[in-house]
Amino acid sequence: MYVVKRVAQALVTFVSVVTITFALVRAIPGGPADFIRAQVMQSGGADEVSMSEINALVESYTNVDPSTPLHVQYFNYLTSVLQGDLGQSVWYSRPVADIIVDAAPWTIFLLSISILLTFGLGIVLGAVMAYLEGTRFDSGSTVLSMFLNSVPYYIAAIFLVYVVSIQLGMLPQSGRFTSGLDPGLNVEFIASVLRHAILPIVSLVVTGFGGVAITMRGNAVQEIGEDYIRVAHLRGVPGKRIATRYVGRNAVLPMYTNFMIAVGFMFGGSVILEEIFAYEGLGLYLLQAIEARDYPLMMGTFLIISLAVLVCILIADLTYSKIDPRISDQGSREAY
Amino acid sequence: MAEQNSSFSQSDGSAGGQGASRADLYREWIDMALLTPIRVAWDDWRTQVGSIIIAFYLLMGTVGVALVEPPTQGQGPRLTPAFQDWSVPLGTNDIGTSILSATVHATPPMLQMIAAGAVFSTAIATVIGTVSGYKGGLTDRVLTTFTDIAMTIPGLPLIILLAALFDPSNPALIGILITINAWAGLARSIRSQVLSLRDHSYVEASRIMGAPTRRILVDDVLPNIMPYVLINFVNSARNVIFGSVALYYLGLLGGTHENWGIMLDGAYNGGAIYSLQVIHWLFVPMIAIIGISFGFVLFAQGTEKLFNPRIRARHAETVEDDTAPYQE
Amino acid sequence: MTMQQTHTAAVDDPIFEVRDVSVSFDMDRGESRVLDRVDMDIERGEILGVVGESGSGKSMFASALLDAVVDPGVLTGDITFDPEDGRRIDLLDRDETDIKDIRWRQIAMVFQGAMSSFNPTMTIEAHFRETLSVHDYDVEAGMERARQLLSDLYLEADQVLGSHPHELSGGMSQRALIALALVLEPEVLVMDEPTAALDLLMQRSIIELIREIADERDLTIVFITHDLPLVANLADRLAVLYAFEFVEVGPSDEVLTGAKHPYTRALLNATPNLDTPREEMRPIEGSAPDPVNVPEGCSYHPRCPLADDTCIREDPPLTDDGDDHAAACHYVDRVAEEVPLTLQEVTVDE
Repeated sequence: MYVVKRVAQALVTFVSVVTITFALVRAIPGGPADFIRAQVMQSGGADEVSMSEINALVESYTNVDPSTPLHVQYFNYLTSVLQGDLGQSVWYSRPVADIIVDAAPWTIFLLSISILLTFGLGIVLGAVMAYLEGTRFDSGSTVLSMFLNSVPYYIAAIFLVYVVSIQLGMLPQSGRFTSGLDPGLNVEFIASVLRHAILPIVSLVVTGFGGVAITMRGNAVQEIGEDYIRVAHLRGVPGKRIATRYVGRNAVLPMYTNFMIAVGFMFGGSVILEEIFAYEGLGLYLLQAIEARDYPLMMGTFLIISLAVLVCILIADLTYSKIDPRISDQGSREAY
Repeated sequence: MAEQNSSFSQSDGSAGGQGASRADLYREWIDMALLTPIRVAWDDWRTQVGSIIIAFYLLMGTVGVALVEPPTQGQGPRLTPAFQDWSVPLGTNDIGTSILSATVHATPPMLQMIAAGAVFSTAIATVIGTVSGYKGGLTDRVLTTFTDIAMTIPGLPLIILLAALFDPSNPALIGILITINAWAGLARSIRSQVLSLRDHSYVEASRIMGAPTRRILVDDVLPNIMPYVLINFVNSARNVIFGSVALYYLGLLGGTHENWGIMLDGAYNGGAIYSLQVIHWLFVPMIAIIGISFGFVLFAQGTEKLFNPRIRARHAETVEDDTAPYQE
Repeated sequence: MTMQQTHTAAVDDPIFEVRDVSVSFDMDRGESRVLDRVDMDIERGEILGVVGESGSGKSMFASALLDAVVDPGVLTGDITFDPEDGRRIDLLDRDETDIKDIRWRQIAMVFQGAMSSFNPTMTIEAHFRETLSVHDYDVEAGMERARQLLSDLYLEADQVLGSHPHELSGGMSQRALIALALVLEPEVLVMDEPTAALDLLMQRSIIELIREIADERDLTIVFITHDLPLVANLADRLAVLYAFEFVEVGPSDEVLTGAKHPYTRALLNATPNLDTPREEMRPIEGSAPDPVNVPEGCSYHPRCPLADDTCIREDPPLTDDGDDHAAACHYVDRVAEEVPLTLQEVTVDE
């Protein structure tokens, strides 16, 4: 069955990601072991600390004992990850998993709203542009969309910070919510959260929806030229239904690939975005971890970000076959 | 997509058939695969404007670099606004470097990055997508899983990790690094395009005739995926621009080159956003970045006509145009 | 190219009266007239075969009958539609006539390429239900009718209804489309090359099916094709289109055995026959005119063996000689000798 195959593929991908993470971090000159060693030595009493004690220390942070052979290290790492133990952050002295549990919902919150808005606005705009093809609205929107698409989201972010936060003072410049507020389901808190989320979300959406609109427009224009639209007109199907159930539905289907790429892109982009807004989400922690050479945190956040993207793509892939009846089972083709 | 049949009958020249010389066949291949797409694309105002913009940046990166002096400290009084002192027409930053110099001299490495990244990602994506789509079976499954893995790993974090790891300084290397997993999307589309092409009758005919796989791929499949390749070549330029500036902005790449991202970083952290006076420090690199991206986006958009086989046929010189006279 | 108003090939009980109908497109190279002031009557209950080569304007004629010419084409002229309930309708009067009410309900159309006539993301059943409800019909009764239609067309109703278009074969989707066209019980069915994309055996069987349902349901069918032998047995009357006008109209057996227009005769001669040796194949010399640039006088004169100065100057009108077989040629009387029919035998099946 397709579902089973696809999930199996996802698992394989995940394990590969874990492996790659493991290999990458191994490859960093110095590596966690040396770093911790250096830290220990810096803090004095170097001669008194034995290798095995250092190794134990390293293991307590990274779940991996550097004295063991490579494949053993890998196996230990893999099993810990699968159990949910991502080690201990060197910088924060907290379990990595805790930090991630704290940060992840915020990043997901920011990104899911951004993706939904980007595609929602983009698809609607693209459909309207296709309907009004050739008019000035269409040409104007196309140029505007292209322009906005040429602006990197982080530049939009900087620009928005400059104009809205600093010059106009309308929205906050950084943080997830105003500090000192009582987190919980109260209006003040929620309002603060929303206010802090607006600029990051707007940066992503404004620079993203243009590309979606243009693609959607192209798809819709192509559908409109198809035979079955003409037949539907002749059959008396009302224009509104043709626009939605005929053109719309068929034009949106190819957008799924764009959606999946956008998911990966946005999760990646959260790194810079959160840095600009000092928004404590996964991306910011990843960046800080890299700068501080905090290997457990680095690996942990990287892994979880990849996992999030993987899950989104998996869901998208599985639901796609539900809505496009033409897809039955891909890949079962005669081999040449 | 329409079938692109050679207008030369491929006879071996014996028995008095209408054969074609090697040169003719090459000419036709080049016409179908390269010149025609270029002709079609050029037809659109967007491609034209886009090309002009790109040409401007190319000029800036070649001629401009010779004309404008390289950026150093103290080329002018610190924090001079733009359009005031004509020895530093775009103003200076906090250590007196001419912003014009910095902007212009950031262009050549950027162009190198773009070229390297675009060529790399497009080449890999084309090869993987084509082979995977055409071969099918186990090869396909392996390559697709590989592509999926590359697509799943979020680009920017990976690049950041790798940049921290390897600290590359060669712009070409940086370009390749940035596109390290950007080729996956193109590979996927090329693969689905090839999948639908491989069942076309002319491909099947070639197979039955016993043509080697390589020949089939080059002769039958490649010319038909050229539009995708071209578009993606241009799109990857955009990715490289965004990615490299991001890396430089975050300070993850060394200061061996000028880069607009470095200027942005300096401006943002140097307080340019707090004062209207110094805003040029922030805006000039922004405009430079947006400008070149816009040029590429325009160019890419203008090439969308390439996907309509009727229009392609009409522009081809060596292939007969049998599009109906009164259908547009 | 004017037409005499002789109500040529007039029929006793026309369901369609087409007068002076043209379809033109404005092109950069000039005005392109793909249907040139044609007159035609269509008899109630008949099967009219409209024959012409590619680009002769036959699809435009089909579209005109539903006032469905694609943009930016401009349709001018008069088409009077006289349905059973007695109200004569001026089809092209867009203020008076609600064409949406007539389309599909009284006049339906079947295209070539049936699979692409369905929405790929909707089941066949959904198409039927939609068509029925849009026209305010009783959906359940309509679906019963649909099932009956599908099985009359030798399809498994439940299987077909539950499928998506891509799951059906070419022949199946063509028949499903025919059923969809008939579900509102129209009086007229216009078929534009419905069998062109099918293999020969399937073509034959669909032609048989069309004949059956035409008889059962008293349908008027306008069957448009380039394939003369295909429609020869099916049609009651044949009308031949050349260069965007009708050049011959008449009962099929008369047209087949005794065609009056040189083009029709040449067309019959050109039809390949299994027994004809290759050397005897007779394609028609020359090619059909470009709609922007139709020759003066008789449009066929560049290719006609009988052509003389009259033909170059004057465009012959489509006239009969009192019988119901009309042709547009100055020299109808000489045609039989000058363009002999080389067919071994023309069999007209019953």
